[in-house]
Parts: sequence; C-alpha cells; structure tokens
Amino acid sequence: MKVLSVCGLGQGTSLILKMNVEQALSEKGIRADVEHMDVSSASSMSADYIITSNELAEGLEGHSAKLIIVNNYFDMDEINQAIDEHIAKA
Amino acid sequence: MEVIYWIADNVFGTPAILLGFIVLVGLLLQDKTASQRVSGTFKAIIGFLIISAGSDIIVSALTVFEPLWKEVFNLSEQPLGEFMGQNAFNAEYGSAVTLAMTIGFLINVLLARFTKLKYIYLTGHMMFWTTTIFAGIVVHTVGDVSFGKLVMFLAVIMGIYWTVQPALTQPFMRKITGNDNIALGHTSASVALLGALAGKVLGNKDNDSEKIKLPKGLEFLRDSNVITALTMGLLFLVGAVIISFKDTPGAEELVASAGSQNFVIYAIVQSFTFTAGIAVVLMGVRMFIGEMVPAFKGIATKIVPGAKPALDSPVVFPYAPNAVILGFLGSFAGALLWLFVLGNTVGYIFVPTMIVLFFHSATAGVFGNVTGGVRGALMAGFITSTVVAWGQYITVKMLLADTIPDTAMWAADSDMFILGPIIRFLAQLLF
Repeated sequence: MKVLSVCGLGQGTSLILKMNVEQALSEKGIRADVEHMDVSSASSMSADYIITSNELAEGLEGHSAKLIIVNNYFDMDEINQAIDEHIAKA
Repeated sequence: MEVIYWIADNVFGTPAILLGFIVLVGLLLQDKTASQRVSGTFKAIIGFLIISAGSDIIVSALTVFEPLWKEVFNLSEQPLGEFMGQNAFNAEYGSAVTLAMTIGFLINVLLARFTKLKYIYLTGHMMFWTTTIFAGIVVHTVGDVSFGKLVMFLAVIMGIYWTVQPALTQPFMRKITGNDNIALGHTSASVALLGALAGKVLGNKDNDSEKIKLPKGLEFLRDSNVITALTMGLLFLVGAVIISFKDTPGAEELVASAGSQNFVIYAIVQSFTFTAGIAVVLMGVRMFIGEMVPAFKGIATKIVPGAKPALDSPVVFPYAPNAVILGFLGSFAGALLWLFVLGNTVGYIFVPTMIVLFFHSATAGVFGNVTGGVRGALMAGFITSTVVAWGQYITVKMLLADTIPDTAMWAADSDMFILGPIIRFLAQLLF
C-alpha cells in the first residue's frame, strides 16, 4: 500500500505528517510506504491514498488515489480517526 | 595513516557519501527493515547529488533575469561576477556543512536535555540551507579555512540558534495555537517576531483577519510551484516587454540571445526554467531530509523527555488562513516596491522568490494578526519583504559575493540575513 502525505512546499510539514501517519499505521498493524511531497508532484504520482489538508485537496481532485483530509497535521487523534475511517476499515 | 587519509578524502571529503553514512546510522537506530535501510541510504545520496543539478538550472535562469532588469533600470554595473556557485561549493565544503548540521543538531539535543529550553529543531531543509549560507559567509570572510574549524564553528552556532530561536517565538506561538505543545522552528522567526511587535504597536487586535471572508479563488496560492512560476513569470514578462521596445545596444544584445525565438516567449520560458530548477533542488532536499529528520527525531525523543518539536512554518497556517493571504499581499506589495527602489538606488536586482514571499510572509502574517489583526498581518508581510530585499542585497554583494550568491538569492531568509553580519564578525574574530 502506498500513501502520500502532501503539503504546499513538500518539505517540512508534509514530513511531520508522514512521520505521524507512519506511527499511526504501524500502531494499527497496517504496513504501508508513506512518502511526503508537494501538491504538484503528488498529482502525477500513483498511490492508494493521499493525506492532505482541505485547501490542498482541491488541487488533487480527480486523482486515482483516495483522498483523506487531515486539517491539523500534528493532531494524532485526528490522524488516527481519519485512518480508522478510511484505511483500517477498507 | 594511509587508511585515515583515504577515509578523510573519500568519506568525509565526499559529501554525498558522508550523508549516506549519517542516514544509514540513523536508519540503524530506528525500527526499520533491511530494504528500507537500503532505499533510505540510496535516496539520501541521490538526493544530495540532485541539488547540484537543480542549482545549475536556477543559475542559468538567473543569468537572464539579472541583465534583463539591469537593462530595464539602465544599470551598467558589473554583473554578479565570479563566484563558486552551489555546485562547486558543495564539492568543496558540502561535507563540512553536512557534518556541522549533524553535530549542531546533537548540540541542540544536549542543550534541550540540560537547560530549560526544551525545543528540538526538526525543520530539516532549513537546517541544511542555514548551515550552507553561514558556511558561505565564513568561507568568503576568511578564505582558506580548515575543515575541523569550520565544522566546529558552524556546529556550535547552529546548535545554539536551533535551541534559542523556538524559545524566542514561543510566547506568541502559545497565543496562536492556544497551547504549549509545538514550537516554530523556522528561519522566518525574526520577521514573525518583528511582525508581532509591529502589530502590537500599530495594529488593532480586535479587527481579527479571520472575521473576513476571502474568495476561494486564492487557494492556488498554496502550491509553491504555481506561485513561483506565476510571479517570476510576471516579472520576466514585464521586463521582456520593456526590453523589446528599447533600442539600446544592451537590449539588442539580450534580444539576440534568444536566437530565432521571440524574446518575450524566451523570457517566459526562463521563468518556468527558474521554477523547474527550484522544483529539482527541493526534490533533492526532500529525498535526503526525509530520511534524516525521522532519525533525528528518534534520537531526540529518546534523550530528551518532555521535548517540544520546533516545526516548519506552515504549522501556524491553519490557525489563521486569512492572515496567511494578507501576509502574502503585504509582502508582494513590498517586493515590487523594493525591486524598483533597489534597482534605482543601489543598482541591485532583487530576486523576490515566492517561497520566501509566500511561506515566510504568511508566517509573519499569522504572528502580526495575533497582536494587530488585519493591519498587523499586512504590516508583517511588508516587513518580511523589506528584510529579505535589503538583506539579500547586503548578503549577496558583501557577505558571500564569491561563494554562493546564487543560493542566497533564492534559498536564504530573514534570519540568515539578520544573523549574517554577526556570523561574519565572529568569523573574523575566531579564525
């Protein structure tokens, strides 16, 4: 399974999100490759899931991956909940 | 002895290999599979080498941008001149930068462990650029500098900076986020502080920017590639159209450099080339920082209980999305003003890169809003472009003219410009 974490510049913030998502996934026993990048790069990458904020998600509509919205990249509760809703259930 | 020399040359003297080793050690310390360790190490090495390729693309576009605007302002001064450039600089000093960054981080962790300043700096790409720019200033100031001295000097400076900077911005961060869990770890801290202070004195806190509704159409501003291409494109376009109507020898020479292509089209392609260069460099940085920072974080959380992560500037964006846009608007107005003023007075062509003007002004905007509302956010943005414009002029012309002025034009920020003269002074004192 491939997951992209996306922010505007694709550097620091999406990296923090990537680390948080990796932690959440491994706690749930889900194996996944998580990569962080900017919106433009993400729109041309294939993936199963893209995790990003509400504003950036608009630029990724129509992407083959399933979009998951997380607005606070540092809130482990929100990340856990989003993963439970979209990935763990699937 | 020969073994030591061999290692010094081929491992410590080859930045990509040294970085690969540092990342490998980091990955060994984490709970990673063998395949993740291999791919992580390889990506770090490749990422570092990609940076040089991207830097050359940026320089090629800047060598068109500079003479273009020089001609618009009728400046006849010498161009950028002879400088090493990021590519050659990496080959000679890249290892020192890499090592200084690593040791500097360890100093940050130790300071957090044993002092009250419990902040761990995790914005890896800015760690890299700050160390690089400061290394450029030291090399420019003292010329021949020994590897060990350069590494130790930079490591101590960086370690202190990465510990103290988040502490200075934290009082305002508490107001913005409403808690004390995360800190700002970013080179735009100085303009964020100046913005917050200006907002306090001249703004109106009650006129909170989040009360106004902004049009949805501005959302594209969050994609760094789009805003960079858009604004550089506008500047190239305006410059090219003016040149097309001039018949001075300089203008004719520029138009001739486009060959059979229309000059305006040629200039627009250059703006996209500039953006492409930045995208390439950022991809390289992403590849090695993405492996390095998780390792750093793993080490830090083991050693420092109760540590607060100091994070990249967009952490504050969700708390005041309107202030983000207002900061950008204030900053953009300032950038155009300073492009004109610097060009006409000191004869310097300011390169207003949108990474700085958007992400950093946005951060300052959020800080300005928390103390001074709408007016505070706009002022904070204006302050950002003011510091960056004059800072870029002084830094490029005086602090690192023969090392990496190309990098200072697009990857240096307010903190580096403000601390630059201090680094120069310390380098003169200690080397």
